Amino acid sequence: MDYKVQVGVQSHLEMGPLDDRTMEDLDDECLFPSEMDAQKTQSVDPNQHISVSGSLPFNGNKMTRNGVYKSIKTVVFSNKLNLLMPFGPLAILVHKMTDSNGWVFFLSLLGITPLAERLGYATEQLAFFTGPTVGGLLNATFGNATELIISIYALKSGMKRVVQLSLLGSILSNMLLVLGCAFFCGGLVYHGKEQVFSKATAVVNSGLLLMAVMGLLFPAVLHYTHTERHVGKSELALSRFSSCVMLLAYAAYLVFQLKSQTDLYVPLGEEVNQNGENLDNNDDDEDEAPEISKWESIIWLLIMTVWISILSDYLVDTIEGASDAWDVPIAFISVILLPIIGNAAEHASAIMFAMKDKLDISLGVAIGSSTQISMFGIPFCVVIGWMMGQEMDLNFQLFETATLFITVIVVAFFLQEGTSNYFKGLMLILCYLIVAASFFVHEDPPTDDQSKQPGT
Amino acid sequence: MDYKLQVGVQSHLEMGSLEDRSMQDLHDECLHSPETDARKNQTTYSNEPLPFSDGRLPAGCNNMIGHGVYRSIKTVVFSNKLNLLMPFGPLAILVHKLTAHNGWVFSLSLLGITPLAERLGYATEQLAFYTGPTIGGLLNATFGNATELIISIYALKSGMTRVVQLSLLGSILSNMLLVLGCAFFCGGLVYHRKEQVFNKATAIVNSGLLLMAVMGLLFPAVLHYTHTERQYGKSELSLSRFSSCVMLVAYAAYLVFQLKGQNDLYAPINEENLDDDDDDDDDDDDDDDDDEAPEISKWESGIWLVILTAWISILSDYLVDTIQGASEAWDVSIAFISVILLPIIGNAAEHASAIMFAMKDKLDISLGVAIGSSTQISMFGIPFCVVIGWIMGQEMDLNFQLFETATLFITVIVVAFFLQEGTSNYFKGLMLILAYLIVAASFFAHEDPTSANEKKQP
Repeated sequence: MDYKVQVGVQSHLEMGPLDDRTMEDLDDECLFPSEMDAQKTQSVDPNQHISVSGSLPFNGNKMTRNGVYKSIKTVVFSNKLNLLMPFGPLAILVHKMTDSNGWVFFLSLLGITPLAERLGYATEQLAFFTGPTVGGLLNATFGNATELIISIYALKSGMKRVVQLSLLGSILSNMLLVLGCAFFCGGLVYHGKEQVFSKATAVVNSGLLLMAVMGLLFPAVLHYTHTERHVGKSELALSRFSSCVMLLAYAAYLVFQLKSQTDLYVPLGEEVNQNGENLDNNDDDEDEAPEISKWESIIWLLIMTVWISILSDYLVDTIEGASDAWDVPIAFISVILLPIIGNAAEHASAIMFAMKDKLDISLGVAIGSSTQISMFGIPFCVVIGWMMGQEMDLNFQLFETATLFITVIVVAFFLQEGTSNYFKGLMLILCYLIVAASFFVHEDPPTDDQSKQPGT
Repeated sequence: MDYKLQVGVQSHLEMGSLEDRSMQDLHDECLHSPETDARKNQTTYSNEPLPFSDGRLPAGCNNMIGHGVYRSIKTVVFSNKLNLLMPFGPLAILVHKLTAHNGWVFSLSLLGITPLAERLGYATEQLAFYTGPTIGGLLNATFGNATELIISIYALKSGMTRVVQLSLLGSILSNMLLVLGCAFFCGGLVYHRKEQVFNKATAIVNSGLLLMAVMGLLFPAVLHYTHTERQYGKSELSLSRFSSCVMLVAYAAYLVFQLKGQNDLYAPINEENLDDDDDDDDDDDDDDDDDEAPEISKWESGIWLVILTAWISILSDYLVDTIQGASEAWDVSIAFISVILLPIIGNAAEHASAIMFAMKDKLDISLGVAIGSSTQISMFGIPFCVVIGWIMGQEMDLNFQLFETATLFITVIVVAFFLQEGTSNYFKGLMLILAYLIVAASFFAHEDPTSANEKKQP
């Protein structure tokens, strides 16, 4: 989410003449509802309630009640995606009234999608106030907050398999589907030439993904070849150790990115500050880019997180029922359905930026997200599980590990050239089709006790 | 086969001064029998019956059909050194009828198929001249490995799906490792001072396709092996069939991409002789020579195509029938015969041409022969056989068993890695050849768990 909004701001900044404040008039794509948001919250003058035009006021929020009312009204009506918001409460209603797990699952999934997008937006706004360093850290950590929240709820219920599968599915869908669609659509629009992207960033990310695969491979193979010193326990201990190592690697990656902001490697989290030509203008515009105040963004952050948590609870509760109702395996729902719908906003933005020939940003959205989940999200869940006393490990079972392995190799290979065309995109999409088909016919072997434990 | 002949014509055109028609005098390598073939077909003069003589290509048509047919057959038989193996075909049938010695029948039919495969490629090439570059490219792309496909279809009919899988796998492995390795090695020895270069872009596209094929093969195998199918045995078959359709779509998109991008950075492999960047100055001459390059008429190439296909089918039938007997007679596993022996001998002509072009510093063409053939088999041949099996009701799937899938996986990764640099030297070639030795040794020591149950169904 963070990259999308970040690059939404960047693209917005780059689109028109940067010294002209009326650039905000230029577009009203769903990515940029933030202007309306800011104008609604900070304007005291009712004349400036026109949603898209007008200058950004910089006073504080005096009329708090009016501001809150307008803020809510804007957040709900400003983004096309937010039309899905009523599905959240609807899901709770349906859950209380009927027993149809399938419907509750579906509705809560739809309800989470706009919340995830808004959460990313709120994180982005907060990042403006905290400076580039902490801002980058915030983006890096909360970029996939939705997946992490869902995973933590699943962990609480003891459904570690769902955690593994949903995180794996998130990685796969980002690497194959989102990237493939971006390459494909961008290649179709620019079929005369080859689109290029920063090879260095792609290679660094591929290296991190490969390291994540290594971290996942060893516990799985160790367990599968029955060569552990203490069957079952060694592999868990190894997973926990490897997770700490992977978190360390991810922290080092962040340090490396933040320190080398002026280097060859353009850090993915700092696209706004990186663009050399716009640096001065960026600083000018950054004063007006944060559209809600610091406290507002924190409050919205908390509200969004709470909402997402509530819906995640219902989501996790009903996943088994939905699997029975629709007669598809839980593996398929976790790996394919959940990530596709959950990532819908990121997906759309990656495609949009590819069609604008900003392939580096699309790559940041897709591959950066994969790297974040694999090097931060998964180890983080293992550590959280460790603290909770759940036996979450890095042993994703052989089939899933093999899938991730071959996918990372294929994608790393495709990325190493630094160019893209519609054919590469089509190949990635077709690869995702094959992966989805495999999970459709894949039934998870009953390993541990998967039943939901009543959690607090 | 197609690349060889295409580049055979191209090399022929490039060898001497292109404006001089007497370039046909220059050499009498077995690759250039088409001239004598044409001359025999089209000349009515009995002064020029010599197979390797010089002389111009006549422009007349074949009026004296009876004589033409006679000379045509005589030329086809005597013109190509490789065609000395042709009598082995009928000999195989004879031996089969007289004795029950499966080993001999197998090797004789294998030797008999080799020249037919080469001639089939030639006929396809000739036909491609008449149909224009687009359909010509399509023809080459589809029938490039027609021999392997014909053998596979016969094996499928007999229900020997394992032989199909192993022979196609062996074809891919031998093309990627042995043919490519020999080409790099020989080329590197001849040009040991400098590094030979080839078009990196094409190599990378092909490597990407090969990796995608490995992906398509990996999932059914791992799914079945980890016993995680929803319906044991059946899910993996439906997944194979779905993946095959996806792979065929990808291959079709690849053809579209190649044919559309003829002027782009990616020089399409099928169109090497028309678009080779080195020959831009020769393009005009190419067009002039294209008028005379189709050496047999459209109908003749079509007829020869049908005749050769029929012959190959007959010999394939014997080949498939006797493979089990040969395996027992020689005391080697069917896996070894299918994966190592069959492709090496079947691909002999392509092998020779790839080496020859590498030694002429035309590494792009060698790459087209070797890697292009591998891509074609993996992204078109294998899925096509699965679909054919589906239609026939045979349970041909993409589950090549773990050992074979692992072999293909590591081979594709090694080769993709070697190709990504865009340069070659004799050491790289030697490494590829030695890798193939290891693969061959593994299959020599490998016993297929399932092939013991394979029986020939009438």
